[in-house]
Amino acid sequence: MRKTHILSLAVTAMMLAGCGQGLLGNGGGAQDEAKGPIRLGMLVPQSGSEAAIGPYMTNAAQLAIDEINAKGGVLGRQLQLTAADDACDAQTAVAAANKVVTEGVEVSIGGYCSGATLPTLPVFGKANIPMIIPAANSQELVDQKLKHVFLINGTGTQQAEAAGKWIAKQGATRVALMHDNTSYSKDIAVRTQPMLGDKAVITEAVTPKESDYSANIHNVLQKKPDFVYWTGYFQEGGLIIRQLRQAGFKGSIMVGDGSVSAKLGEIAGPEVDGVFATMTPIPDTLPDAKGWIDSYTKKFGSAPGPYSNQAYDAVRLAAEAISKAGSTDSAKVISALEGINGFTMFSGPLKFTPEHTLSAGGFQILVWKGGKFALQDALS
Amino acid sequence: MTQLVWNGLFVGSFYALVALGYSMVYGIIKLLNFAHGDLYMLGAFSGFAVLSALGGVSAAMTLPVLLAVLLLTMVSTGLAGVVLERVAYRPLRGAPRLSLLITAVGASFAIEYGMRIVAGPDPQVYPVRLSGTAFEVFGASLTLPQLVLIGVAVVLMVGLHLLVAKTREGRAMRAIALDPRTSSLMGIDVNAVISRTFFIGSALAGAAGVMAGAYYGKIDFLMGFLIGLKAFTAAVIGGIGNIPGTMLGGLVLGLLESFGTYWLGGEWRDVFAFGVLILFLTVRPTGLLGERVTERV
Repeated sequence: MRKTHILSLAVTAMMLAGCGQGLLGNGGGAQDEAKGPIRLGMLVPQSGSEAAIGPYMTNAAQLAIDEINAKGGVLGRQLQLTAADDACDAQTAVAAANKVVTEGVEVSIGGYCSGATLPTLPVFGKANIPMIIPAANSQELVDQKLKHVFLINGTGTQQAEAAGKWIAKQGATRVALMHDNTSYSKDIAVRTQPMLGDKAVITEAVTPKESDYSANIHNVLQKKPDFVYWTGYFQEGGLIIRQLRQAGFKGSIMVGDGSVSAKLGEIAGPEVDGVFATMTPIPDTLPDAKGWIDSYTKKFGSAPGPYSNQAYDAVRLAAEAISKAGSTDSAKVISALEGINGFTMFSGPLKFTPEHTLSAGGFQILVWKGGKFALQDALS
Repeated sequence: MTQLVWNGLFVGSFYALVALGYSMVYGIIKLLNFAHGDLYMLGAFSGFAVLSALGGVSAAMTLPVLLAVLLLTMVSTGLAGVVLERVAYRPLRGAPRLSLLITAVGASFAIEYGMRIVAGPDPQVYPVRLSGTAFEVFGASLTLPQLVLIGVAVVLMVGLHLLVAKTREGRAMRAIALDPRTSSLMGIDVNAVISRTFFIGSALAGAAGVMAGAYYGKIDFLMGFLIGLKAFTAAVIGGIGNIPGTMLGGLVLGLLESFGTYWLGGEWRDVFAFGVLILFLTVRPTGLLGERVTERV
């Protein structure tokens, strides 16, 4: 009984797939499937050390979904967000991935911490779910060349290039790199080092979630650097900036995109003034995002933050790919994504490279001035 | 070199303060109170709440106000410790030790995520921060707040040592540590003494929490986890259950981390520090100053 059931399902599925490619190419497959909503899965940290980021991303995704649904949805179906908490932790992330897969998501649009996103790749891969990763950007995510994985944030390599350019422009001669040993952070530091050649005097790893980094800072300052580049997240970043200055460091400090948060300044205190950051466009530095920021603020009662724009774009991109593919069939959505050329996003027109990353990373240099990050140099 | 020693001692005095509560509780009821690090977090947050309620504090008044907040926090965190013991541990007094251990882990999560509901997942920043210009002593640069914090830690530790070694209360604690049943036959109110032990241990952790909040500035609901682990390590290195040993263990761990970072680089620091923990557990499980006990219950 059970066997025949599965068999008939398989036959139906084959027929459906056949239909999609054949006569009813325009959305035929989707019409025959359930009329329920298209679920988009989103794993972001809602608890743990990076919990502050989660709402920025889920809110922005919800905003995009509401806008698309108001225009009639995709292929006549409504979009629905299925968010789950990955706590920026590998084990929690895998459990959350399995959960959203069971709930029947069609496309994954989440992923903030690279270390937590990496182990979810095979979970979504096995379930044939395309992944549009809005924020996580370690090179390791695309190193395996998985067909279903797309990054719409600049990669570690692109960020390292931007960092290298800016450090050279600043004329720094002795550069210290500091990272927190997570996949994301170490990736940037390791890729920045060759850009600097013998100007990189030390690469120091710290233990995240601590309060006292005096021992690490002692190591760094012994090498007498004139430029420190921290590639980890904002909680440690704020403490490190403060402790570097208290220990008498007078040179420039730069942080990576994981540290771009208003909290960085609060934690670091007045010492944060003049700190540089490598970052993809944020709502504040986007020239034409004023209306978007207003509608976000109106809807959620607070301003958008880091990665709000990428999460918003991930939803729009998923909707675009599904409607181009004419179905939610994984293979078709993936080839639709690969075929996208010039889709307008906050970061500019989109075209994926063969390894499914942005053809232009779009990293800029921000500087902390007057209580927030502002654009310093677009590096273009 | 002196800078390394100074950094190690400064961090180590925090470890020692937190480790003392661990060690006292273990000494008396043989319970590894995994929720102890979270009492440190509770202390940091209760200090934060008081300071925020006070509003702005003028720069000249910073230190006296902080000391007052410190005392207030010690009382409130101490009471939290008493409640924790009453709710989570006392009902299991006769139960197997494994049940107590699991309850402790559960209590730890309950406090952490309870605080997350109350205060939110975002890290908070202390409204008052200790900072001062650095000055040089024997080639190490240190600041006035660092000296004050170490001073407070030393006063608290010495006070605790006197309490345990010289007073009636301390004698009762030591008696229960040796044999709770006989102590109760001798007319000691065992439950009351255990409650007071939790009060003192938690108050010390709370003091460390406020000091960390005021010095480093950033607090969050998971801040107690790592320091709880470190405090446990410090207690084992020094001799868990032994109070001077635990203080020594905290300082030794701070120095190990400081020198480990210097010799081996930042990524090897924890490997080094926890490697030493394993070494101690295998070679000298009683720690630096712990006495060898022939019979363990």
